[in-house]
Parts: sequence; C-alpha cells; structure tokens
Amino acid sequence: MVVERNVEKEVEVEYARLRIPFGPVHPALKEPVSLRVSVRGEEVIDVDMVLGHVHRGIEALAEGRNLIQTLYLIERICGICSHSHTTCFIQALEEIGGIAPSERALYLRTLIFEMERIHSHLLLLGVMAYEIGFDTLFMFIWHVREKILDLFEKITGNRIHHAMNTIGGVRWNLTPQIASEINSCMKEMEKAVKYVRDIFTDGTVEKRICGLGVLDYSEALKLCVVGPTARGSGVDIDVRRDHPYAAYNDLKGNFSVITRRDGDVHARIEVRVLEIFESINIIRAILEKLPEGPIRPEENVLRLMRRIPEGEAVSLVEAPRGELFYFVKTDGKGGLRRLKVRTPTFSNLIGLKSMLLGCEIADIPVIVASIDPCLSCTNRVTIVDQRSGESKVVSLDALRRVVREK
Amino acid sequence: MNAAIALIISFPAVLLISLLFEGIDRKLHARMQKRIGPPVIQPFYDLIKLFNKGRVIPLTASVRVFEIMPMIAAAVSLLGASILLSGILFGLSMIGDLIVVMYLLAMSSIALMVGGSASGNPYSAIGFSRKMSMMIAYEVPMFIAVISVAFGSTPSLAIDRIIKFQANLGLPLAASRPSMSLAAAAFLLCMPAASSAIPFDIPEAKTEIIYGLLVEYCGPYLALAKIAKAASNFALTLLASIVFLYIPSLLWENAPLNSGISLSLCLTTALLIMFTTMTVPRTILARLKIGQALKFYWMVPLTLSLSSIILSAAGL
Repeated sequence: MVVERNVEKEVEVEYARLRIPFGPVHPALKEPVSLRVSVRGEEVIDVDMVLGHVHRGIEALAEGRNLIQTLYLIERICGICSHSHTTCFIQALEEIGGIAPSERALYLRTLIFEMERIHSHLLLLGVMAYEIGFDTLFMFIWHVREKILDLFEKITGNRIHHAMNTIGGVRWNLTPQIASEINSCMKEMEKAVKYVRDIFTDGTVEKRICGLGVLDYSEALKLCVVGPTARGSGVDIDVRRDHPYAAYNDLKGNFSVITRRDGDVHARIEVRVLEIFESINIIRAILEKLPEGPIRPEENVLRLMRRIPEGEAVSLVEAPRGELFYFVKTDGKGGLRRLKVRTPTFSNLIGLKSMLLGCEIADIPVIVASIDPCLSCTNRVTIVDQRSGESKVVSLDALRRVVREK
Repeated sequence: MNAAIALIISFPAVLLISLLFEGIDRKLHARMQKRIGPPVIQPFYDLIKLFNKGRVIPLTASVRVFEIMPMIAAAVSLLGASILLSGILFGLSMIGDLIVVMYLLAMSSIALMVGGSASGNPYSAIGFSRKMSMMIAYEVPMFIAVISVAFGSTPSLAIDRIIKFQANLGLPLAASRPSMSLAAAAFLLCMPAASSAIPFDIPEAKTEIIYGLLVEYCGPYLALAKIAKAASNFALTLLASIVFLYIPSLLWENAPLNSGISLSLCLTTALLIMFTTMTVPRTILARLKIGQALKFYWMVPLTLSLSSIILSAAGL
C-alpha cells in the first residue's frame, strides 16, 4: 500500500514525463518481465528492464540430481521449446560419454525439433496478432497450431513436454501410419501458413508492424542478438547450418537460412513465417530419407548414465528463438557438477532497449513480442529490490536457508 | 407527466435490449472466429456476477468522483436510449431531442473519462488523453452529420418530425437525397469509434494500456460502466436506424408511428447496423494507432459530413 502512494507522488512531480510500469503483470505479456517506461505524451523516452520474477533455480536444482532426473527437469525450463533444451543437454552428455546415437534416432530428433519450431513460430505469430488487436487472426493461427500439437501427442504421447530424448537415442519410434499423417498435416499447414503470410502483408496489419522497433545490422552485431531477431536485421547466422548437429548435416540441401535487411518488427515476423516453410521442407525431407535401424541402445538407460565419465562439454542448438547454449560438467558418478544454460531470449532482451526508444506506447507490446521473449527460460539468480532499486545476487546457501525456513 | 412515465417504463426495456444486443454481438463475433462463443445472455450473467462482487477503490483515487461517475454514465446513456425508444413506442417527442440524445451519449463517455482518470492510475491517464483525442476525431463529423439531417428534413431537430418526414416521403432519409446519403455514411463511419470497438478501441486497448480508463474499476462500478457502454451502443444504432434508415417508411404509405411492427423493424435495422459497423470491423481489422485513427476521421467522415452540409444547403 505504501508503494502505491509513492507511485502517485512520482506521477505528480514528473508531470511531463509519465512513468508507467509495463509489467510484471500485463495482458500483453505471456510471462512476467517488468519494463519501466517513461513516456512524454505517447512517445517512449526511456526504458528500464527488471528481470527475475520467475526465477526457479533450475541450475542449482540440477546439480543435486542425477543425469536422467535432470533430463526431465530441464525439459521444464521452457514450455515451448522443451525439445531444444533436452536435445542440447543430451548432446553434451553423449559427447562426454562417447555415445553415438543411431542415424534413425538423429533423424527423429530433428523431426520433433522442426515440428517444435513450427509450433513455436505459430504461437508467436498468434501472440503478435493479439498484440495488434487482431483477435480473429490470433484465433485462426492458434487453431492451426493445434494440429501440430495433436501430431506431437500421436508421436510421443504428450503435447508440450514430449520427453522424446534419452541418452543415446529417442524414446518413441515413428510408424508409417503416423508418417503419412504428418505428410498430410504438412500439406494443410503449408496452405494455412500461406494464408497467414497474406494477412500479415495486408494493409491494416502492415500499418502496425512496418518500420517499428528497428535494430540495424551493426547494432545487432554489437549486441550479439541471435535467432530470428538477428536474421531479421540481416545477420546471417543459424546453428543448423554453421555448426550442424543431429541430422542437419545430411539435410543441408533441404533448407536455406532466411534473412531480411530491414530489422523492423515486420522483418522479424517475415523471417519467422518463411522459416515455417523451411521447416515444412525439412520435415518432408526427413520423412523421405528416414533411415531404418534401432532408435536407442539396448542397454538400460541407468547403466548408460553411470558409464558417463567425469568431463565437460559445450553444446549448441538452434532453438526456435535462436542459439541455445549449454555447458555441462559431469562428476563421473551419474550426477552433475555444473550446468549452465544460456537461452536465446537472454541475448535478445538486450536488443530491446534500442528497439523501444522513440516508439509510441501502442508499439511497446508489439516490439516486445517481436523478439519472442521466453522469460521463464531467461531468469537467473539476481534479485532486484523494487523499493530501493538495489540488486543483489542470492547465493545458493541463502536460497537453501529460505527453503529450510519454509 | 405522461412523458415521464413512458420514459420510466422504457428504462428496463432499454437495459434488456441493449444487453441482448451485446450478447448477440459477442456470439456473432465468436462464430466468425470459429469459436462457439458465450450464450446470448452472457452479459446478464456478467452483470449479476459483477454486482455481487466487492468494491475496491484504489488509495490514489479521489473517491467521490471515482464512485459517482459510472453511475452518471450508466444513467445518462440509459436515458438517451429510452428517449429514442419511447419516441418510437409512444410517439413521444420534444423540440430538439435529437440534440439531447447526442449530448447524453457524449456525456456518458465524458463521465467515464472523468471517473477513470480520477483513479490516479497512469494507464487511466493515457486512456484519458487517448479518449479525448478520439472524441475530437469522431464527435465533430457525427454532430455535423446530425445537423445536416436536421437541415435536410423538415427542417427539424425533433425525432418524431424526422420520422414523420420519412413516412410521408415513403423513403428512408439516407436514400432520399445525395446530401442525406453522405450524412448517413459519415454517421455510420463514426459508429465504431463511438462504440470504441476494434479498430478504434484505442482508448481501452487491452494489450497496450490494460483497458485504459476502466483499469481500476471492478465489481459494481465495472458493471455500471458496462451498462453505460452497452446502452450507448444500443442508442447509437437505434438513432442511426430511425433517423437515417427508417425502414417502415418503405412498406406503408404514411407508416404507423407507434406500432409494434415498426418498432420491431427499427430494432432489426439497428441490429443489422450494429453487425455491420461494430461486429464486422472488430472481427476483420487490427487496432489502429491514435495518429492513424485521427487521420482517418479527419480525412474521410469529416469530408463526407461537410460536403453533405454544403450539398444540403445547395438544396440537393
């Protein structure tokens, strides 16, 4: 209650500069982030960002568990790109343990990966439509997205947390019947996404997204943004092509990296729409080329886990939002000594400030959504005291103390 | 005395019909989006629930203004709609009631603006400034269109005179002369903004400023604000239907004024007008920015209404 009084005073004193709290709870945000925006009239003149509302201490949790438990834990880092996280983690483990998954397993991993990219991009396009007040398009896109989720359920038994990866392979095989279902779904998907692309180039939508939140090429390079945010600014990077993993080495000829020069919201959206088409191409190629063979080692997964020696590895994948980085250090007894996750949103959030300055209030949600922020992935151990404005880093011991007190 | 009783009788009727209109709007909107949508009487459920909720008044609000304004808004917009409805039902009218209705509808928006900005929330402040700009954008062409109508019919500012004029003419006003068609077009183009539906829901854009003026309202106050909005939307559509598109005039020579049939015809027209000017735009368009909306209103409806007045002065 005291805090609210303070807010009132600020508003009264800074009459020309209104400070509005954008978040942590705001209908435009899927997840909590707090942007403190100073505006003059409708124009944004300053932005300050506060993170840390959904920190869950996953890295510390992982260090107290064995590798298989960690695999299911890190799947829950993100509800949208869960397969990217497990793939990235499992790649590091396989690197340390010297385990080579079969060709078929790699292809199936890639298949789920690309389906996840389609579902994640569709989710974002829907959110984008919602931010600009186009509810019908939002409903349509999420209706299309349901089909992909149904496919996930058919293949792996789960819509969101697929639990597809295991050490040395994947857990579910693909039957010919499901393969044909995927094929027909891709046909529908292609048609629907073409329609969506047409709507996003429609006048009423373009008015809201063109020339907004510009992040030019040099700025994008300087801030090290990744994924579609970087590609929308003309930075030609893609882990799938630059450091191929899973089956992407074989599939190099089946996709191209989409880049756009403009660096505005429209460019970032266009990159995502076109990437969906590329993903459809990759999925078709996978279904064509899918080699026969076992999908995982015969050996029990717990025994495999115990065989992984002490060591460390770095792993990279191209998650739907950009480059996802894992540093894994095992202790040789089936556990972890250190796990470090750097999510793409963490890199992209830095670019947000330069995109937001000078825009209108109406553009804030559109620009924030255009980098596709996934904040639950991003939040780390820094706690910011909102009242005094101090930040402090909470140590593991302090966290343990808090937990024990409860 | 009679007039007062008629008005009081039509109050609950207006409440009922305007909420039904809102329900139909929501249902049609949902069907066009491939959703099942809420039942048509969902607005009633909403109101019952809201009225049973507790009152929360923010510490930063100036309490009296914050509490009273939704009541004023609901009362004046219900009154505006009842004047129109009792005008058709009982043939009641007085000199200048066209202006009174327009004034009451603007008053309801202003009351919500004042109440919302009394909450002390920065989002309400932004909502206030946006609503202000929007009102300047749409009220001007709307009033000019109404004035053009007043000149173009008898000339008169009494609604029953305008209705009788159309009945004698055997044509709806919008089809009678080019100047009137232009006025009708300007008026209808202003309707989405007046009802703050997408693409012109800028003052209460939920993804931008969290419903702007309404952000701090909850419980009974929000219910009153919702009534105010539903009733003023209904009043606008009804006004457009009886002033510009009085369909009964097509069917009979000297159509009867205060019969059930002409009332139901007027309501059907009002429903169609609501569908075309509020439901369809909010389904097929994205929200505009305030500058774009202002530009549109000063470019198109204002030009239309001004040319309508010039034509009407020239006797066309």
